[in-house]
Order: sequence, then structure tokens, then C-alpha cells
Amino acid sequence: MKRRRRNKLLIESPASATGDIAFNLIVFFLVCASVTPNDGRKQTIPRAETVPEEKKETENLRVDLTRTTVAINSKTVSLSNFPLLMKARLRDKKSPDDRVVVVKCKPEVPYHRWIDVTVMIEEAGGIITLQLEEEREVMLPE
Amino acid sequence: MKIKRRASQATVPSMAMGDIAFNLLIFFVILARVDDDSHIKWVAADAPNVEKAGFASVSVVVDTENRLYLNGQEIGIAQLAGRVESLLGNRPAGKRTVLLKIHNQTQAGRFEPIIEAVSQAGGDLVHILDEKKQ
Repeated sequence: MKRRRRNKLLIESPASATGDIAFNLIVFFLVCASVTPNDGRKQTIPRAETVPEEKKETENLRVDLTRTTVAINSKTVSLSNFPLLMKARLRDKKSPDDRVVVVKCKPEVPYHRWIDVTVMIEEAGGIITLQLEEEREVMLPE
Repeated sequence: MKIKRRASQATVPSMAMGDIAFNLLIFFVILARVDDDSHIKWVAADAPNVEKAGFASVSVVVDTENRLYLNGQEIGIAQLAGRVESLLGNRPAGKRTVLLKIHNQTQAGRFEPIIEAVSQAGGDLVHILDEKKQ
């Protein structure tokens, strides 16, 4: 006598669960997508004055930054010595006005280099202010 | 002879619950993505001792193509200060955080006027950076 085969098992996911599956998938992808960097450093940059205070500007430390060099008050220094020199220069300056460091950088300086240098200035106790190069459009007569 | 009234059943089918949740979720996701800048491509510079930036309603991004975005919308440098100022409104100090996400190869000629504009608008700058590995 032939033995009867057992009925094939139908393995189907219940239709009522599809919504829940979709929901969980969306939550998963949302969580994956939101891993954008959100750490950083605060930086206080004083607002630019409309009236230039030339006297103070000469008293403040000035850092000139190019793609390859960094200079404190027009004297080129190596990047490895820069933090120590900044600390030494800012040591005796107690008031916030005196701790202002004017950073002037060439237009081709990349952001990562600017961040490196400004972080060193801030860690030495300096307050950064920017000196932007003014650009003027000259209209030539035709 | 009395005729019995049939009590009609009016229940929300439980089958539809998943679909309702799904549609609600899609709606809120679309709503949330209006101000989102996660689609913009940029690479963060690195620095030591970075901290959690916390919540900020204003974010300024410069992407790999040197384009400027305010809260995910492309904008020109001339409008930046005014738009940031209006977004910050009369918020008190400490709640005027502006996230600055600048691509690490962006040149000073591009990012310095942006920093200046945010500073002019009275925003508290937070540079978004990666932790520098020693």
C-alpha cells in the first residue's frame, strides 16, 4: 500500500504583517541615513567694526597664513613651534581686547589648514578676528 | 411581529493599520526633509577636542562643488547675512547657534566671507568637524 504524502506546508507571511515590516524597514533606513557628523568646535568671532581702530590693530597680534607658511607679526614660524610661540605672546595679555589675534589669510588657503591654525590660536587663549581682503570691481569705460 | 434590528459593525479594519502608519511616516519624513541638508556632499575637516554641537535651527554648508547652502537650499553669499539674521530672529544668546559645515578643501576666498556674514548676523558659530586621531 502506498503511503500518502503529507500535505505541502504553505509558508506565507501573514498579509497583516507587511505594514509592520515596511515600518521597521523605514525606521532602519532613517537611522542609517542620519549618521551625519554633528560634532564641532565653537568659535567666537567678534563683529567687524564699521570704523577701523587702527591704533588697536597695530597692538594686536597678527597671524598671516598662506598655503605653506604661517607668520606671527610678519615673522615666519614653523607650524610645530606655532602653539608655543602663541602661548608665550599671549601669556601677559589678560583683557579680552588684548587677546584678539587678527588672522589674515591668502584666498587660496584651504579650510582644513585654517582650522588647524585657528584651533592652535584658540587653545593658546587667543580670540580670533578675521581681516578680509577687500575686492573692488573696477568698471572700465568702453 | 417584531423585526429585530441588525447591529451594524463599524470597526476600522486592523489590516489597514500598517498602511496608515506607513503613510503617516512618509508624510512626516517628507515634511522633515524640507530643511534637511543630508543630501549635500561635503567632507569635514578634522580638529582635536571636538564637542557635541547640540541643536541648531540654522546650518550653512559649502559642498565639494563650492556651492553654498542655507538649511539645504542653495543661496548666494550676498543674501546669507540677511537670511541668517531673519532665521535667528530675536533668539537670546546661547540659542543662536549656526552650524558651519564647510568642505575641507574649500578655499579662504570662499569660506571667510561666509564666516563674516554669519558673525554679522549675530550667529554663534559652530564648525562641524571630525575628531582628529592622534
